[in-house]
Amino acid sequence: MQLPYTSPICELRGVQMRFPGPRGGVQRVLEDIRLEVRPDEILCLIGPNGSGKSTLLRLLAGLMPPTQGEVRHHGEKLDGLNPGVAMVFQSFALYPWMTVEENVRVVLRARDLPEGEVRERAHQAIRKVGLEGFEEAFPRELSRGTKQRVGVARALAVDPEILVMDEPFSQVDALTAEALRAEIMDIWADKERNPSAIVMVSQSIREALLMADRVAVLSGSPGTLRTIVEVPMARPRDSRSPEFMKLVDHLHDIFTSAELPDVQVTAPIPSAAAQEDQVEPLPMAQSGDILGLLEFLETQGGTSDLFQVASHTHVAFEKVLTTVKAAEMLDLVDTPKRAVLLTPLGKRFVNANMDDRKDLWRAQLLELRLFRVVQEMMHLEEGELSEETLLQELATRLPMEDPEKTFETLVAWGRFGELFAYREERGVLTPE
Amino acid sequence: MIHRFLDTVWGQAMNLLTAPIRHRRWIDLLVLAALVGTLAALWLVGKEWTAVQRPTVEIALSAWALPKYLLLSLIRAIAAYVVSLAFTLVVAYWAAKDPRAERVLVPILDILQSVPLLAFLPPVLLLMLTLFPRSNIGLELSAILLIVTCQAWNMAFSFYQSLKTLPKELEETSSLYGFTWVQKLRWVEIPFATPGLVWNSMVSVANSWFFLMSAEAFHAGNKNFQLPGLGSYMNTAVEQGSTRAQIYAIVTMLVLVILLDQLVWRPVVAWSQRFQVDEGGEVDPGENWLLLLFRRSRLLKWLEKRRNQRLHQRTPRPAFIRKAHEEFQRPGRLGSWVASSAMVGILALLSLGAFSVVRLLAEVSGPKWLVLLKAGGASLSRVLLSTFLATLWTLPVGLWIGMSPKWSRRLQSVVQVAASFPSSLIFASLILVFSSLGIGLGVSCVLLMVLSTQWYLLFNIIAGAQAIPADLREASTAYRMSLWKRCWNLYFPAVFPFLVTGWVTATGGAWNASIITEIVTTKQHTLRTFGLGAEVVLATEQGSMPHLAASALLMAALVVLFNRLVWVPLYRLAETRYALNR
Repeated sequence: MQLPYTSPICELRGVQMRFPGPRGGVQRVLEDIRLEVRPDEILCLIGPNGSGKSTLLRLLAGLMPPTQGEVRHHGEKLDGLNPGVAMVFQSFALYPWMTVEENVRVVLRARDLPEGEVRERAHQAIRKVGLEGFEEAFPRELSRGTKQRVGVARALAVDPEILVMDEPFSQVDALTAEALRAEIMDIWADKERNPSAIVMVSQSIREALLMADRVAVLSGSPGTLRTIVEVPMARPRDSRSPEFMKLVDHLHDIFTSAELPDVQVTAPIPSAAAQEDQVEPLPMAQSGDILGLLEFLETQGGTSDLFQVASHTHVAFEKVLTTVKAAEMLDLVDTPKRAVLLTPLGKRFVNANMDDRKDLWRAQLLELRLFRVVQEMMHLEEGELSEETLLQELATRLPMEDPEKTFETLVAWGRFGELFAYREERGVLTPE
Repeated sequence: MIHRFLDTVWGQAMNLLTAPIRHRRWIDLLVLAALVGTLAALWLVGKEWTAVQRPTVEIALSAWALPKYLLLSLIRAIAAYVVSLAFTLVVAYWAAKDPRAERVLVPILDILQSVPLLAFLPPVLLLMLTLFPRSNIGLELSAILLIVTCQAWNMAFSFYQSLKTLPKELEETSSLYGFTWVQKLRWVEIPFATPGLVWNSMVSVANSWFFLMSAEAFHAGNKNFQLPGLGSYMNTAVEQGSTRAQIYAIVTMLVLVILLDQLVWRPVVAWSQRFQVDEGGEVDPGENWLLLLFRRSRLLKWLEKRRNQRLHQRTPRPAFIRKAHEEFQRPGRLGSWVASSAMVGILALLSLGAFSVVRLLAEVSGPKWLVLLKAGGASLSRVLLSTFLATLWTLPVGLWIGMSPKWSRRLQSVVQVAASFPSSLIFASLILVFSSLGIGLGVSCVLLMVLSTQWYLLFNIIAGAQAIPADLREASTAYRMSLWKRCWNLYFPAVFPFLVTGWVTATGGAWNASIITEIVTTKQHTLRTFGLGAEVVLATEQGSMPHLAASALLMAALVVLFNRLVWVPLYRLAETRYALNR
């Protein structure tokens, strides 16, 4: 069902977003984003952690101005809040000291509507999401699903052209999420009324394909718009139909080729002097999770599919992705296309006892330049490297990364490999 | 015309007034009685305040005079509280929103909330007396100002911190839906700050009872001033050696503290529970008998309905006003101009104050400084000794109470009342009793400090013991740890963060107590011991400003240094290693 092209409600033109990072660095969050929000469509954003999905929504709502580029609303450059946008938050963002009714009314009062209209519109919005009877309840009395209904009612009350939702169902249990999603689709389907468009960050490909007319795929730090996939299926959609499965597959392929390109991730031995200072950014994965992944692969006969791993282990896809990246970096798995398979080294690792595992792990860590740098620094500082010094070093060597997080991962990996010990209270690294 | 008036206004009013009597709605009767009582009290206070200044008032020691004195003291505390609250809202808001002001105001607030303010009362007092030399208003205002100085800082600091820690998503919704700054303050910021503000208000009001004794009767230079009130009643009773009157005063204070606890703080705390941002956690429904009664009151319901009707009739503001409003919401020119000039004013005052203080301090001789330093050492060791002694008994008792659900239910409110009973009220009497037993002031000083600070400790330890997770306690039982091992491995580390908080409050209280206890004057004799508190009082009595400034500042410096060097590192240790919620 391809809609005839009309002028967009909102447009992001060459938008770039940077935040001042810790320790004087600059964090690039979004890079050169071009995206439009059209009337009568549902647009879903998917992408791994740190691809700036939430930031993109906040730019659209006008909660912050972009560092570069512009956000347009009906062709006019946005200066301040976007008048056509209402937002639903992942964590609900309800005022705990107000009842359901007051939570909805308060945003209408802020628009200086006469009190009669405030009451009427709040009542309508509450009825729309099926919360009649809950008007006098306080948020703490409600389940997460009901809280999110209030969040939706509050957004609908201001009659927005675009309803913006930031992972609205991620904190709600699966069944409630299903119901809530269907209701929002019904409300949106009424073409005579607002909201005309929905822009939503989703954490699951299936959810995105069930709802969206277009799925925008972002890829990781800094966030760039990789591609936009049109979903030309009539609603309601059946997630078991061959057409649907084909699209799921297609999105999976885009995702993996973006996040796990089939080139060697760890470049063997940097040859040129220009690469002297280059260290690899660490995927923020726990050593325990990497071990778990290897054990899981072992039970699957040493090979599996990225999306199989996520669905079998009930771990969020983004986390699986990070873990796989980390394991690949340590040369324990390989990822041709979407498959994940144990390398010979990985097999040896899984079958080894704890002591041998640690030896292997340590050897693999020292293949990474970052860990060699740390060892060198420790040596130079005569066996006691202060946290502060290392953080400074990380900030200069990995300007795009959050040094605190890299440090955390580094310590966790190093501790597991008995490469060094870290004493939190004194903030020093010492060799084991 | 008159008929219409009688029919509508008078008739309705009479109806309203007599309805409770007809329907025997006792709570409404109570509300009415409270209204009448408040009016009567205001009249009395007005008469008192506008009277010609009398340096000393004859205090009647009869029990029948007590309600009047109690009322006058209460009104002083309430007036001071209103001023403190206004100060809190303005100054803390300013500090939170204006980064330039923040850099100056926050350190000042932080220091003011931790130094022993009793040492700064004399200079404030002398200032107020020169400002209002004629009528009683000067004396009353200075008493109120004295009480404000012991109430405002912690409240302001708490409000500032709440403003700074507003959850990001609540912040975002209020900007997303275009709240003006007034709307944001009313609907988001003040509600969010309410629990902290309520708690700090309780502390502040309890503080003001402690300061009452000093605020209502003071010697400055060769003059003695006395204001009618509960504090001066007690003073007179001690001076005239009337045990009966002393007991009356103590009982009255106790009744006041209990009544405030039951009639004010409990309902307010129960009500403030709803402002707690605590998603997911177990929430105590926080019921209170008085709050329940109020919810049943028809009179209050009627008032509420009227208010709602008024709201309903409110017409929308015309567009241009709204526009102007939005202009103001941005860093408006007017707002920033006002803020800048206020900032300049404060900086000017500060530098002026610093300049005159330096000039005063220059007059203090070297040997005198040495004496003051030694006195500081003596007081510091008393403060530490008293805190140590108090810890010795409160730690086991607090652990026991806190871990027994039955006893903590029974005793917690008792402890709370005990903690807000001003021990300063009975210091003088106790010192006289001790001295007749042959105990020197040096020793009884420490005992009195223990008396005034032990409750803070006990209160905190009970809270800490209640917070020990059940699974950790079960684990220590399952692994058959002996009582001693259990204390050492679990109980002491678990309550340590609470203990540190208790210590900070307790030492602060002990410093204040040093000013009241190290020197006691009665008609017959003056008892004094060597210490910084005694130096402060002596300097005030002799009217020697350089000496006063030096001893007060030295005490403040000692406290601040001690905070920075001992308590802050201990806090950090408590937060990193002994926090149970990580």
